[in-house]
Amino acid sequence: MDFCRKEVKSDCEQLLSRFQRTGSVRFEIFSRLWREMKFSHIFYGTAGHQKRAFSHLILDTARSFFLPPFSFQIRVGGLYLLYSLYQCQTAEPKEQIRLALKDWEDVKKFEKNAVDAQHHDTVYILQQLMLLKAFYFTAMPSQLVFKKKKKMEKSVLCEEFIERASRPQELITIDLLEELSNINELYEKLKTSVASSEQAVSSINLVRTDMVPQLRSTVVDFYKWQQKKEVTVEDEDSGEGTSSQQECSERAERLADIKSRAYGQAAEASKSRRHRQVEVDFTSNEAGPSHSSSYTRIYKRSLKARTMENVHISGDKWKDVTSSSYIPRLTTLDFIPEEKPKKCKKFKW
Amino acid sequence: MASSHPPRDSNSNIPDFEYLDVNTKPFHVGSFRHEWLNRLKPSDYSYRREDDDTFDANFMKEMGVGAETMAELKSICSPDSLRCHPEGQQPDTELVPPEPMLQTLIQRKKRQDHRANQKISKNRHDLYADELERLIVGRKPESTADIIPEGEIVLTINVYYPITSERISTSRPHMSLLMTGSHSLAELRDAICCVSDLQVCGEFSNTPDLAPDFISKDLFKSSFFFFEGVFYNDMRFPECQDISKTTIEWAKARNYPPYTQAKMEDTRFVDLTIKVGFPYLYCHQGDCEHLVIITDIRLTHKSDCLDKKLYPLLIRKDRLLTQKCTVCHLFIGRWFTTNDQYAPSDPCLFCDKCFRALHYDAAGNKLGEFLAYPYVDQGAFN
Repeated sequence: MDFCRKEVKSDCEQLLSRFQRTGSVRFEIFSRLWREMKFSHIFYGTAGHQKRAFSHLILDTARSFFLPPFSFQIRVGGLYLLYSLYQCQTAEPKEQIRLALKDWEDVKKFEKNAVDAQHHDTVYILQQLMLLKAFYFTAMPSQLVFKKKKKMEKSVLCEEFIERASRPQELITIDLLEELSNINELYEKLKTSVASSEQAVSSINLVRTDMVPQLRSTVVDFYKWQQKKEVTVEDEDSGEGTSSQQECSERAERLADIKSRAYGQAAEASKSRRHRQVEVDFTSNEAGPSHSSSYTRIYKRSLKARTMENVHISGDKWKDVTSSSYIPRLTTLDFIPEEKPKKCKKFKW
Repeated sequence: MASSHPPRDSNSNIPDFEYLDVNTKPFHVGSFRHEWLNRLKPSDYSYRREDDDTFDANFMKEMGVGAETMAELKSICSPDSLRCHPEGQQPDTELVPPEPMLQTLIQRKKRQDHRANQKISKNRHDLYADELERLIVGRKPESTADIIPEGEIVLTINVYYPITSERISTSRPHMSLLMTGSHSLAELRDAICCVSDLQVCGEFSNTPDLAPDFISKDLFKSSFFFFEGVFYNDMRFPECQDISKTTIEWAKARNYPPYTQAKMEDTRFVDLTIKVGFPYLYCHQGDCEHLVIITDIRLTHKSDCLDKKLYPLLIRKDRLLTQKCTVCHLFIGRWFTTNDQYAPSDPCLFCDKCFRALHYDAAGNKLGEFLAYPYVDQGAFN
C-alpha cells in the first residue's frame, strides 16, 4: 500500500489548501469542497483486504493534519477530513483512527480551544467521533516493525499549513516589558543610593540603560515583518477570534519543541544548522565517523559484491556449474532448450 | 515574571520514540494502561454506544445551544452531506469511477489496467489473508463470561522465522498474533508453531515404523523469552531446564550488564516492561531462535474479536511452498535419504508410500544400503 502514500497525501493537501483559502472553519464549507472534489471516490476500486489497508493508510495521513504543528484552521480541516473519511470508507467493519497516548493532550487542548471559541460544529464532530468509537487508543501512532531505512526520508510538512511562529511576541509581552523597566528603575535607584560618588556609579554599569525600549522595538519590528510576509494568507487568528496572541504561546511552544526534535533526527539539516554534523545516524553503514561538513554518504558496497570481488573461485569448478539443481526437478530431459528468462514488465510508478 | 510553562512532565509511562519510526523507549505495559484509563471516561472505551438522545442533551447543555441549533448542526454534519453521488444511484464501489480527478484514483486506474493486461493470477498470500480476515473480524463469544473486559490491553506480536536457510525472508514475519494483557508468556509460547518442534532426531532406515514416537517437542521442552535483559524460562514441566543459565554466566564473566531470570508461566504481559517495535528473542529446542517484535499495544475496541477463548489470535500467517516427493510430485516429502543407491540424487526426498515401495520389499525388509531420516516440511503448518 505504500506505493500510493504520496498521491494520498497530495490529494489531502489539495483539499485542505482549498479549505484554508476559504478562511473558514465551518463544516458546511468543508463538505461542499468534499462534494466538489468527489472525495468519497477515493475509496472505490480497491478489493478484498486491500480496502482495510487503504483505509488505514488514508486515516493515518489525515490524522497527521489533525495534530500539531499545523495551524488551528488546518487542524480543524484535518478533523473534518478524519470524520468524513471515517464515515465514507468502504472497509467493513470500519477501520479505526489510531490515537497515541502522547497526542492525547494536544487533542484535549484543541477541543478546549474550539469550545472557548464556540465552534459548535467542530466540537460536535469531535464528540461524534468519540461516540462512534472511531478511535483506537494506542501506544504509538503506527505499528512499528523495527524498519531501519537506509535513506532517512524527511517528512515534508506543507509549509503553508504550519502555524506562524510567534515565539518572540510571546516571550516579550507588554507585562514583561513593564516589569523589566520597573526592575531596571529600582536597580538604578539602588545603585545611586549605595554609591558614594558619581565615578563609582558609572564604573559599575552592567546593564544597558535603554535595554527595555530597544527590546520592545525589536519585537515590534519582527512582528511587522511577519505581517508583511503573510499578506496573502488571511490571518485566521483575527478572522475567527479563536485565539489571541497570548493563547498561541502553547502552540508556539509545541511547534518549537517538535521542530527541535525534527532537526535532531533529519539527515539533511536546514540552512541554520548546516555547520553541525548529523546527530542521529544509526542507519549509517559508513566505514568511519562522519565529521565532514558536507553530507556525502560513503556507501559501502554490499557484502555479496565484496565477496565476489575478493574471493576467487577456481576456474574449472565455476565453469562446470551451469545452474543450481532442484531436488524436485530431477526427472527431466537431458537436453533442455535455452529458456529465455521471463521478463515481467515492471509497473512504472 | 514571564509566564513560563513548566516543562512537560517526562512521564516514562507515556510511550515515545527512542528512534523515530523505529522503536520506542521501554515502558511498563500495566502503567501505560492506567495512564489511558485515567484520561478517558468509561463510556469512551466501552463496547456499548451511547444513546443519541443522551448525547444531544449533553451537548446542548455543555455548549449552551438550543434545540433548533442542535437540529441544524445534526443535519449539516450528518454523513449524508458527504455523499458524492446523486441520491438513489448507488455507485459500484469495486470499480474506479470514470474520469478520476484525484491523483490516487488516477494511479489506481493505471495500475488496474496494467494488471488486466498482464493476466497476473491472484497472489496466494492475498487469498489466505482474505480468508483469515473473514474468520476473525468482529467475532463475539457465545457466553458473556468469555468476553474480554473493557479497558483490557491488546498486543500485536510478530514472530519471525529462524534463520535456517538463506531463502527464508527475515523481513516478512512468519505469523502475527494478538494477545491480551492478562495472558501469560507461556500461552504465547504454546501458540508459536515452528517446524523444528516436529522434527524427529535419529536415523530410522532399519525401523521406519518407530519414527513418530520421538517428536522433539515432547523431548526438549525447555525454552525462553528474552525481554529487556530478563530471561523468562519455561518451567512448567519437570523435563524443562533452565537453558538461559549458560548465557547469564557467560555474560557475568565478561562484564556485561547483569541479566536476570523469571518464570514464563508466572509473567503476564501487563507486568512486562518492553519497547514497542524492538526485536526480542524466543529460543526453543536449544538452538532454534526466533525474533519476536511487539508491534502494537492498545486498548480493546468493540470491533475486535471479543471471545477470550480464541486468543492467542492468529491474524496473519505466512504460507510456505511445500516440497513434494521426488518420485510422484504429488505428496509432501516425509523421508529424507542420503547415501542411497536407489535415489537419483543425494540427498533425496520421498513421500511415505514411495519411500516404502522403493526401499523395502513386501515383507518389510530393508533393501540395499541407505540412511533415512524423517523429514518435516517447512510448510507443515499451512
